[in-house]
Amino acid sequence: MPWLLALSVPLPVLAQPVVYRLDPQHSFVHFEVMHFGTSTLRGRFGQIDGYVELDRTVPSGWVSLRIPTTVVDTGMPAFDARLLQGDLLASETYPLASFVASRFSFDGPKVSALTGELTLRGVRQGLELRALRFGCHTHPQLQREVCGGDFEGELNRADFGASFGMPFVANRVRLRVQVEGIRQ
Amino acid sequence: MMKSLIAAAALGLAFVAPVHSATYAIDPTHTFVTYEVSHFGTSTNRGRFDKKEGTVQFDRAAKSGKVEVVFDLKSVNTGVEMMNKHLQSADFFDSEKYPIAKFVGDKFVFKGDKVEAVSGTLTLRDKTMPVTLKATNFNCYMSPMLKREVCGGDFETTIKRSQWGVNYGLEFGMADDVRLLIQVEAVKQ
Repeated sequence: MPWLLALSVPLPVLAQPVVYRLDPQHSFVHFEVMHFGTSTLRGRFGQIDGYVELDRTVPSGWVSLRIPTTVVDTGMPAFDARLLQGDLLASETYPLASFVASRFSFDGPKVSALTGELTLRGVRQGLELRALRFGCHTHPQLQREVCGGDFEGELNRADFGASFGMPFVANRVRLRVQVEGIRQ
Repeated sequence: MMKSLIAAAALGLAFVAPVHSATYAIDPTHTFVTYEVSHFGTSTNRGRFDKKEGTVQFDRAAKSGKVEVVFDLKSVNTGVEMMNKHLQSADFFDSEKYPIAKFVGDKFVFKGDKVEAVSGTLTLRDKTMPVTLKATNFNCYMSPMLKREVCGGDFETTIKRSQWGVNYGLEFGMADDVRLLIQVEAVKQ
């Protein structure tokens, strides 16, 4: 009789959080900003260091990552150096940007968006990143699960006090984030 | 009489389309090719070619143009040194043997006075194949720094790298499709 009772009770869903560490070779923040309403300036931050925790049974997630602002790569060394100055990244005073998010949206087992807070130049602002794609594969060398995807978001750089060059170089910055995490 | 003749001549001149064909030099600080390729269907790997030069002949009145840009394949920049080196090996660009990629575009498609697409050829690893670049932005402006007209935009296309004999990894699932995102600005000479 007790075993019949046991069968009728739905099994509790056990939380199964899995921690992934970002793979620095496949984790970069690319930014895009319009130049004179004509063409798109692009640059890259990285390598990024951080952790992601995913629990696809609940589902829920948590991410914390650090982005050095002392290294930015646009392909133009003079422009890179200009970006580090006080009226843009102010990277001497604020050498790290961070992104922390715990509000994850899922589409089935896949992460579809996450909302958190970006701290840049010492200013903290809400930021939503939308997944363009999300997937997992087995790393061919490590033989470990890798999950990741492409995410996009936008911010107004003036909100963070990085307003040099406006309006010739737009306020609106589009973030295109590549991220892959290796299961720990 | 004389005055009206001059006025008529002036008026007449106004209706004669001036010769607009001009040469523009590629501004290397605002001209980049970024590629995007899927990494095991999970995320997108990106890289960029940092060294390049070229010229554009551009005639907005005749709606024609010609562009020639050469990219130094050894300047590929992915943010991962190991990847940069692998891309230059014979598996990919074989840049010792074929140090440059070249785009020659000679068919400009206009919509109004804006360039909508440029067709031509891309030469990579000694193979020349047709490509068409579609404009997602196009504009001309007077540069306050250079005091000259600058024309440019954003272009994109998706190519299959196997067409140029770059086949590495296809058999174990690496993507053949490569999306090219092109920023270009050129300064009137």
